[in-house]
Amino acid sequence: MAKEYLGEFEELILTLVAGLQEEAYGAAISEEIETRLKRDVNLSAVHVTLYRLEDKGLIKSALGGGTNERGGRRKRIYSITSAGIATLRAIKEVRIDLWKMVPQLKMS
Amino acid sequence: MKKEYDPIHSKTIRLLRWFCPSQLLEEIEGDLIQKFNRDLKSPHTSRWPAEYKLRRAKRRLLWNVIRYCRPEIILRNKLSIQLINTIMLRSYLTIALRNVIKNKVFSAINVFGLAIGLAACLLIFQFVSFELSFDNFNEKLDRTYRVTNDRFQNGQLIQHGTIMYPTIGPTMAKDFAEIEEYTRLMPGGDLNVKINDKNFRGDNCHFADERFFSVFDFKLLAGDRSSLLKEPYTTVLTENTAARYFPVKDKNYSSLIGKTFLWGLDTRPYTVKGICENIPDNSHIRFDALISYSTLIRPDNQDADLSWTWSDMRHYLVLKPGTDYKKLESKFPAFSERYFKGDKVSGSVEKFYLQPLKNAHLYSDYEYDIATTASGKAVWAMLVVAAFILVIAWINYINLTTSRALDRAKEVGLRKVMGAFKRQLVNQFIFESLLITALAFVVAFVLVISLQSTFNQIVGTNLSLNTILTSLSSTKILIVILVLFVGAFASGFYPAFVLSSYQPVTVLKGKFTRSGKGNFLRKSLVVFQFTSSAALITGTFIVSKQIDFMNKADLGINIGNVIIVQSPQLMPWDSTFIERVESFKNTLAQVPGVISATTSGNIPGERLGRSFNIRLSDQAADAHFTISNMSVDYSFFDAYHVQILAGRNFLPTDHNPDFQKLDKVIINRNAVQLLGVKNVEEAIGKEIVWGRNGTRKWTIVGVVDDFHQEALQKPMEPMIFRPMYSTYAPTSVKIKSDDEQKTVADIETVYKKFFPGNSFEYSYLEQRYNNQYNDDTRFGKVVSIFTILAIIVSCLGLIGLSSYTAAQRTKEIGIRKVLGASLVNIVSILSIDFVRLVLIAAISSLPIAYFSMQNWLQSYAYHISPGLAQFVLPLAIVLLIAIVTISFQIVKTALTNPADTLKYE
Repeated sequence: MAKEYLGEFEELILTLVAGLQEEAYGAAISEEIETRLKRDVNLSAVHVTLYRLEDKGLIKSALGGGTNERGGRRKRIYSITSAGIATLRAIKEVRIDLWKMVPQLKMS
Repeated sequence: MKKEYDPIHSKTIRLLRWFCPSQLLEEIEGDLIQKFNRDLKSPHTSRWPAEYKLRRAKRRLLWNVIRYCRPEIILRNKLSIQLINTIMLRSYLTIALRNVIKNKVFSAINVFGLAIGLAACLLIFQFVSFELSFDNFNEKLDRTYRVTNDRFQNGQLIQHGTIMYPTIGPTMAKDFAEIEEYTRLMPGGDLNVKINDKNFRGDNCHFADERFFSVFDFKLLAGDRSSLLKEPYTTVLTENTAARYFPVKDKNYSSLIGKTFLWGLDTRPYTVKGICENIPDNSHIRFDALISYSTLIRPDNQDADLSWTWSDMRHYLVLKPGTDYKKLESKFPAFSERYFKGDKVSGSVEKFYLQPLKNAHLYSDYEYDIATTASGKAVWAMLVVAAFILVIAWINYINLTTSRALDRAKEVGLRKVMGAFKRQLVNQFIFESLLITALAFVVAFVLVISLQSTFNQIVGTNLSLNTILTSLSSTKILIVILVLFVGAFASGFYPAFVLSSYQPVTVLKGKFTRSGKGNFLRKSLVVFQFTSSAALITGTFIVSKQIDFMNKADLGINIGNVIIVQSPQLMPWDSTFIERVESFKNTLAQVPGVISATTSGNIPGERLGRSFNIRLSDQAADAHFTISNMSVDYSFFDAYHVQILAGRNFLPTDHNPDFQKLDKVIINRNAVQLLGVKNVEEAIGKEIVWGRNGTRKWTIVGVVDDFHQEALQKPMEPMIFRPMYSTYAPTSVKIKSDDEQKTVADIETVYKKFFPGNSFEYSYLEQRYNNQYNDDTRFGKVVSIFTILAIIVSCLGLIGLSSYTAAQRTKEIGIRKVLGASLVNIVSILSIDFVRLVLIAAISSLPIAYFSMQNWLQSYAYHISPGLAQFVLPLAIVLLIAIVTISFQIVKTALTNPADTLKYE
């Protein structure tokens, strides 16, 4: 297991960065959260979390291209590092292990 | 149609740019704009009118931007700024240090000049803030007032004092609901204490009532605040007094409560009920002990409580919160009329006023004042002077720095060519200024710390930077720091802009010459500085001459070589008292070193009591005059060499142990005049009636010449002398000037023989008398310090100006030398300008010095009239100093080899 624990929101963002790949930048991530999870999220919260994950070395970033919609401002595209992948995997395995402890419930 | 809204240039995004770290800005800005655009097309609002959609999107944008104001974002900012600046700062520091080292003398002058200004400022600030802090340890300071009392007789002010009748306090408190509390106080003079077999003399005490400790917040170390000073014969001692009287272990003052001591001849002991901390330096009242006021009120004599004529009491009032004291004061005339009925009760028309306690120290000019006072005007003047010194020091600094511009011009040019922005250059120069200022600060603090004790000695205070800083409120400290910082910054600003504005092309081509810009400023500054220096030098001369005059003035009374021996504290009055004193005097006169001895109720230098109801017996019964009175024995006028103008001296037969049988007086020349008698001869044989409705008559047997009973600030008053002895009258012993120590020892032996068990205390009259001039001597010292400071600062200004002009005229001098000018020639050409400036300054100082010194001298009833020498000498001194100062620079310039200065032409 990684030494540092991830918060729920951090884990969510990390997963989305891994999933969105080339399209992983601030605005897109926040939109993704809004559409998929029906959860209201502020852009600044997303950015702050991204920076924190970057500080922890779980993701890295590079400037991508700009679009008209962005007033010509370039995107910062985030991608997951191998440490990030390892952390995600570790989390997932722990969850599955824990899930196995739960008695199987009948689904009605 | 309105222009389309563009979020990129909106105020909202500009707000973001202001606080958002630059490395994150592009990404965040982009994301925000994208979000804004998508908000516009949001499916939720597809049916809304466009205007609403825009408004919603804008609102959301603003909200989003505001949400970025969080520490996680903003803190990323600071780190980056520091990173960038440390690199530049290091470069600035190196350059600045190199410059300081390159011009050692110049930098030293610069730093030192500024440091002197700052140090002077700090010292003065210390002093001023101490003076302004008086009595502020009292919680009710802003509601506490002193009652003051003016008395008028025949329409003339005869007394302006703080003393009044004991009835004033209780009556006012009864009549005026605005008064929350009052306290009554009477100075008790010397406390002669006897504990077991030990005597303690010379402690100053007051009689104070039980409300004293509720009006004033002197801290108690032991005792119960609410019950102090209530019962008769109880006392509160200060820490120091208590420790001297009784053995105290580990500051356990509670153990002293209940201890007793005897005072003088009293047989009833005084009980210690409380111990208070030593009186703070900034208290206007000072005492070593307090005795309960009720001690004064005896069953058989309640005058101390009920008298409308005994006026020795001081009153303090505490008003209810929110009371306008001026309004209360306006009710006092009616009060006075109600109880004093014009001058029917006390012999004079009484007017009462309130003085806020916070003014008691700085704004009091009362007679019979117990407050330690200082001149408020002088304190504020000091503050102005401090500000002045600081401003001048900074302007000097600016001058010195800009005068060196030529040296740095090439550097600036080169930097600009290499791509430096103007802003960077400004930053660099400001940084250098700050560095110099910081250095100056360090030097200033060292100066302050090392000069502290000297300064304390001169000013007569016990200050340190530490105590002042801790006692100041944080806002005051903040203001001081702000002023210093703004000053340092502003003085760095001007040179920075001048230096950084040079055009690289002109500078590097070598065609750079200074413009005459700022020259006028520089010259007028030098004129101004030398004007004040010259005026101050004149002031120093006149002040010291006046002090000298006062110390050596013919007082009309000979106080030289007189020793004052305090009266024995333990000798009661009886019918043999006079004989005992006389034989003591006679024995003293036989001591080889003693010339004569006399006793008197007051000694020269002391303020006399006044009698308000004196008239001649042949004058109308309602006539009354105010005359100061003094009791003397028959040898007084001989011993002090007071001239008798008419009639005779007192004879031993004029004395009588029974006060009722005395009927002879001597008056002075002023009293003759006041009483309306034509000349001194005519006064002899006239009779004086003393006291209101008095019937007792006193015959005038002699008239003496006026003499200076008090310092020369005060006019000589009308005086009346009665032939009286008293138990508290000190003995004045005139001695020969050789072998004083032996004479004093002999006097002590005689004293001990006559008054066994009493402690022998003596002092030199001349010293005591001259103590009245302490304030003036101090003023003289302060003026001379300022003079020296002003001279130093002016010289710095002159150095700045002379080095500036010298640099400007190097080429001219070179050419002159090539053409054959001699050294003397060049020196005189260069110096004539400065001499002219200094001369203008010196001459314009004359009227300033003249009028301000006249004004100062007016405060002395007897003063010198300044002569020509006091005004001409400063001119010469100032010129000399100026010439010496500039000669270095000028001779150096004149000696330069013309080949060096002209080789590039």
